Amino acid sequence: MMIKQRLPRLLHHLLALGISLLFLLPLYWMFVSSLREPGLPPPRTIEWWPTDAHWSNYPELFTLLPMARYLRNSLLVVAAAVPLTLLTASLAGFGLSQLPDRPRRRVINWSVLFLLIPASAVWLFRFQILRWLGLIDSLWALILPAFTASSPLFVLLYFWSFRRVPGELIEAARLDGAEAGTAWWRVGLPLVRPTTVAVSVLTFVLYWSDFISPVLYIYQARWYTLPIGLQLVKQLDATNWPLLLSAAAIMTLPVTMLFFVLQRTFLSEQSLGQLFDRS
Amino acid sequence: MNLFAWLRGRVPSYSAQLRLFLLPYLLGTGVLVGLPALFTLGMAFTEFNGVARPQWDGLANFQRLFESPVVRLSLRNSLIFLLTAVPLRLLAALCLALLLQKRERLFGFYRAAVYLPTVIPEAAYALLWLWIFNPFYGPLNMALGWLGLPAPDWLGDPTTAIMAIVLMSCFQIGEGFVVLLAGLQNIPRALYEAATVDGANQWQAFWRITLPLIFPWMLLLTVRDIVMSLQNTFAPTYILTYGGPYYATTFVPLLVYEIAFDLFDFGLAAALMVLAFLVLGWLIFGLVNAVGGWRRHDD
Repeated sequence: MMIKQRLPRLLHHLLALGISLLFLLPLYWMFVSSLREPGLPPPRTIEWWPTDAHWSNYPELFTLLPMARYLRNSLLVVAAAVPLTLLTASLAGFGLSQLPDRPRRRVINWSVLFLLIPASAVWLFRFQILRWLGLIDSLWALILPAFTASSPLFVLLYFWSFRRVPGELIEAARLDGAEAGTAWWRVGLPLVRPTTVAVSVLTFVLYWSDFISPVLYIYQARWYTLPIGLQLVKQLDATNWPLLLSAAAIMTLPVTMLFFVLQRTFLSEQSLGQLFDRS
Repeated sequence: MNLFAWLRGRVPSYSAQLRLFLLPYLLGTGVLVGLPALFTLGMAFTEFNGVARPQWDGLANFQRLFESPVVRLSLRNSLIFLLTAVPLRLLAALCLALLLQKRERLFGFYRAAVYLPTVIPEAAYALLWLWIFNPFYGPLNMALGWLGLPAPDWLGDPTTAIMAIVLMSCFQIGEGFVVLLAGLQNIPRALYEAATVDGANQWQAFWRITLPLIFPWMLLLTVRDIVMSLQNTFAPTYILTYGGPYYATTFVPLLVYEIAFDLFDFGLAAALMVLAFLVLGWLIFGLVNAVGGWRRHDD
């Protein structure tokens, strides 16, 4: 009887475990292969652990290419774009949650429409607009999309969250003479912290990974970001796999760490339910 | 923390302040998304090299598109990608959400593991798969050889190259996975309890309760995935194959990029974008209609 009940549960766990390992496997391979000694003949079987871990591939990258500069550029972009996105998205979301029905509906409809415009439809003439503004070959070309809240989705996420804030709280603040800015900062934002965490993580990933924008808008080597740096490592020697994968690992490490630190807030049942419970 | 202190003389009303809150978002989106999108539409009918004044050209760009074999090939490739990757990704996200929705210990870890590949930066992700697909000593072919299966030259062979791109896109499904998880969670438990009382088994409960209730989410994801396939293939193909071998992985976004930024024919590139959009719009319209008809029939 006990076995009959336990067996399906065990199978369920085993299946889930197998799938998780399948999704983690590519990352693990990247890490293991990045530690191989460059120049050695490639392995004949799958290596589960390098026989002689070669950590020097990592510092080697920084001497071969100005990786430190690319890293700094990438960090600058993220450091500017994430707060700007949070500001734009949360202000707009708060405004939406408080506005009367008609203007709100209009903005939401437009946002959903914009959600369906792929970046590629915008490339060609965003390039022209950035050129007219004199922003080609500057980090601003990469940061500026933060003023679109990076994605209408983030505005909608904030809107759904602010709508769950009890109206009386904001009413009370207003009776105390608070203006909209105060109500947003003092009452609204502290109550939607899970949303802020989720939007921060997603925005960080978006700008840290951004490959297309620097390809399109950056031509001077001094403004290259890490994704372009990766391309350069590949152009340097496309067969030096340990070095290539070390570069990939350097790019992946920050997002992976951020994700694991914050996934509790980000993927937890409560915050998921809240984000999408639109009742 | 009063944004409007400097306006002390005439403090805007509360609702005017709220409208001001929307200003950065609306302005930014208008200038950086709305305007370029409109430009694309307009420039499709002009000859424009990015520098000189655009010249009205009528439908000449579209005529050139229809005459170009590479354009036809890129549209065909994009459609193949769409018709395989979109359903596969949706199915995978749904199965994983159903499997991993339990509120138990360890399931949080499983969910995080499934989401993780989605946060890997595109450039790194592409390099990683370039290694995995390496025909001689990549881990994938090692594993296939170990299992006694044939080891194809993944990215070197036109027939497998496109499948390789589909395969790697199937590991980055975190967005759909999370949306469907949330959708599943919002189904009231009482419905399942009622079904059990009525003697329904799990299979029937899935078809009669779960599927209909998360259907709107699935449709939304499908539409978004179809549209986003116009940008998602860019980085992988740019880094892995640059459209090759023999144009097998030349998808619309890569071709648009080449026409505009290598050949400086912005008008033609815009026309190709518009054409791709029309095809996608037609596809989505057909899909939504078919689904609507089926749903009505089902009720």
